[in-house]
Amino acid sequence: MNQNGTDENPVLRDPDVRLMLRAKGGDETAFTKLVANYQDRLVGVLAHLLENKDVAEDLAQEVFLRIYRARHGYEPTAKFSTWLFRIANNLANNQRRNTGRKKEVALNVNDSGPLGPRPGERLIAEKSGLMPNRQYDKSEMCTMVQAALATLNEKQRMAVLLHKFEEMSYVDIAAALETTPTAVKSLLSRARDNLREILEPYVKQGTLGTTETEEE
Amino acid sequence: MAKLARLSPEHRDNLAAYLDGELEEAAVQEIEQILAVSPVARHEVDMLSRTWDMLSALPVQKASDDFTQKTVSSMQATERTSPPVASQAVKQNVRRGGVLALWAGVLAVCAYLGFSATHQWVPNESDQLLDDYEIISNLDKLQEVGTIEFLQVLKAKNTLAEHDEHSAK
Repeated sequence: MNQNGTDENPVLRDPDVRLMLRAKGGDETAFTKLVANYQDRLVGVLAHLLENKDVAEDLAQEVFLRIYRARHGYEPTAKFSTWLFRIANNLANNQRRNTGRKKEVALNVNDSGPLGPRPGERLIAEKSGLMPNRQYDKSEMCTMVQAALATLNEKQRMAVLLHKFEEMSYVDIAAALETTPTAVKSLLSRARDNLREILEPYVKQGTLGTTETEEE
Repeated sequence: MAKLARLSPEHRDNLAAYLDGELEEAAVQEIEQILAVSPVARHEVDMLSRTWDMLSALPVQKASDDFTQKTVSSMQATERTSPPVASQAVKQNVRRGGVLALWAGVLAVCAYLGFSATHQWVPNESDQLLDDYEIISNLDKLQEVGTIEFLQVLKAKNTLAEHDEHSAK
């Protein structure tokens, strides 16, 4: 066993877990460091998940506050990031449920709203052949990908974001989403199929279509 | 023709996991064998990979510059406004004790009501014996009477009452 006792608990090898343990012991700077380490990652994931950066920032702040309040009872049983994203996922689910209830009252399903068609509607129009074939610039590509991401269900989207941007393994994603690695495998497979179905036409005709496919 | 056949759902799940580096060695070999012979599978992997790469086109969202400061300030504000942990623990214990006492009271009332209801409504064998005590104690005499009609005749002539008076003397 080494001096830190990390042979006994492999979770203690996670430097963020050690920061959290210092915060538990009353070290405020350790917690500030954790906030600094995770703020961009958390806001990034939540902004893509909720499609609203301001709400994402508010929610990210709430995540850190919850962790701070829970610090006295903290026990290192998993990676810190897994715990943080589990809290973020639960808060985001609550947020979406609340927003969904408000939207049900406020919006007519056939009404695109004062800002014109929503990204998903635009994508459907483009897919149906109303837009001419052409090369897409970066911002258009970004809009298409955002719209494609928006078609995924909540769990698929979170799994995709954690895997793509946090490079989390299936096991860690499963811990964050409170499910099994097998379920994550299936979630990500469905998500990739959905993304492929929507984005494939743009791969073939857009700027990213640089590799010849078997069909071509 | 097998080379062009559609992939099974299990193989499709495994294709995504293969791209993510999440398959065990045996499954990796199986997928690679399929890829070696199936243009359909190669096309699937190619499209899954290229559409996945398109996610990199998403804008990088970062927290605002004062995020850390704002978060730390609100943490400190929360710490100031919320009572100390020790007093929170005491409050929590008192609340738990109150809830337990309430439940104990409810259980005691239920037990009392149950006992009362049982005592009042469920027939008791001893009560039945007490009610029938007179008949049981005079069973020999009543058996000698034989019929109800004869008993009614005795009652009409007040013979039984006189007999009881004599017996009492």
